[in-house]
Amino acid sequence: MASIVRLSSVCRRGVKPLFFQTTLLARPLVVPHKYQEQPYQLTAKIHASQALYAGSGSKAASMHWTAERVLSIVLLAMGPVAYLHPGPVMDYSLAAALTLHGHWGIGQVLTDYVHGEAKIKMANAGLFLLSTVTFAGLCYFNYHDVGICKAVALLWSK
Amino acid sequence: MYIFINLTKEKMICTRFRYCYFPSAVLGQPRIKKFQIYRWDPDTPGDKPRMQTYEINLDTCGPMVLDALIKIKNEMDPTLTFRRSCREGICGSCAMNINGGNTLACLNKIDTNTSKPTKIYPLPHMYVVKDLVPDMSNFYAQYKSIEPYLKKRDESEEGKNQYYQSMEDRQKLDGLYECILCACCSTSCPSYWWNGDKYLGPAVLMQAYRWMIDSRDEFTEERLAKLQDPFSLYRCHTIMNCTKTCPKGLNPGKAIAEIKKMMATYKEKKEAAL
Repeated sequence: MASIVRLSSVCRRGVKPLFFQTTLLARPLVVPHKYQEQPYQLTAKIHASQALYAGSGSKAASMHWTAERVLSIVLLAMGPVAYLHPGPVMDYSLAAALTLHGHWGIGQVLTDYVHGEAKIKMANAGLFLLSTVTFAGLCYFNYHDVGICKAVALLWSK
Repeated sequence: MYIFINLTKEKMICTRFRYCYFPSAVLGQPRIKKFQIYRWDPDTPGDKPRMQTYEINLDTCGPMVLDALIKIKNEMDPTLTFRRSCREGICGSCAMNINGGNTLACLNKIDTNTSKPTKIYPLPHMYVVKDLVPDMSNFYAQYKSIEPYLKKRDESEEGKNQYYQSMEDRQKLDGLYECILCACCSTSCPSYWWNGDKYLGPAVLMQAYRWMIDSRDEFTEERLAKLQDPFSLYRCHTIMNCTKTCPKGLNPGKAIAEIKKMMATYKEKKEAAL
């Protein structure tokens, strides 16, 4: 039995990982009227296959997670460094790091809350636009104005 | 809280030992506690969910919420529907939302403050079958999908010898194997509320971890690789409702964090030759 199950999981590994969505979404919501005679069959519609959550075969998801943690830690370190060595290098690094951090962070929120294929595409496009504009704006500020490090320092000057 | 007052022999005999017995005559007023319970009956066409209030004399009721529910079903309203079995926190049947927290009715003491009603709902964000009974199909399907059993590369040796484990390896399973799959944690997790179809949830992920770190299991990498998508595992944002609510005192949040660490470091094995 176990071997049959395992074989099926191997066979289906290549399939798009989320193909099962439709089967799961067609959950036996309680009693559509035609099922009223056999309420005990409510659960019968769900058939979990072993390939239900078969991964994409790449390490993309875990690498993304690792990159997020690394970036967060780097950002923590960038604060003191920017304080001690302000300058154009830090300005542009901060612009890039802050934008990317925000981009990934908001991306997680969108993944959580935005459902539906079309909406997801729109949200991601909007996010990409927002991040692009943010980065361009910060670069413009660094180039034509005092730069991020100086601007933050100015908050304390009177 | 248990007060045993000189009971006569007859009373001792007819009182089950679990009951905290407060003879009203001694304490004066009977302690009447209100229970507001979620009711919904799919067999009544057009029925809308509603809260129904029951009044129970705590002097003649057992100490746990499950005792009160059974008392209501036995003596007041046989149509009240809920799952229960072991009445001692080992089967996980009576998981429900009591006073805003997911817990097992059999392990939850009735709040003896009679000025406040006790509110009982089914597990949050689950499809309701009837009253306090949620549809667990998706939860069980997800549990099945992680292959919660020992897997060996070489099956020809199966059942011939015991698989030995060092004491240290066995200890790694403590705090994981005790899970009774009551789904209190998963249904307390906001991520599971919004993405319950694709996110596995804390209970199932903790069991996935339990099999990943089992020294006898040989499919750790495959188990990890299965979680390589944005939803199965990475919808966990360390909210920790799971750990807070677990009626068995386990820590699914930590298990998920351990999986995330393993995910970041494991080496991909080439698929074993078929």
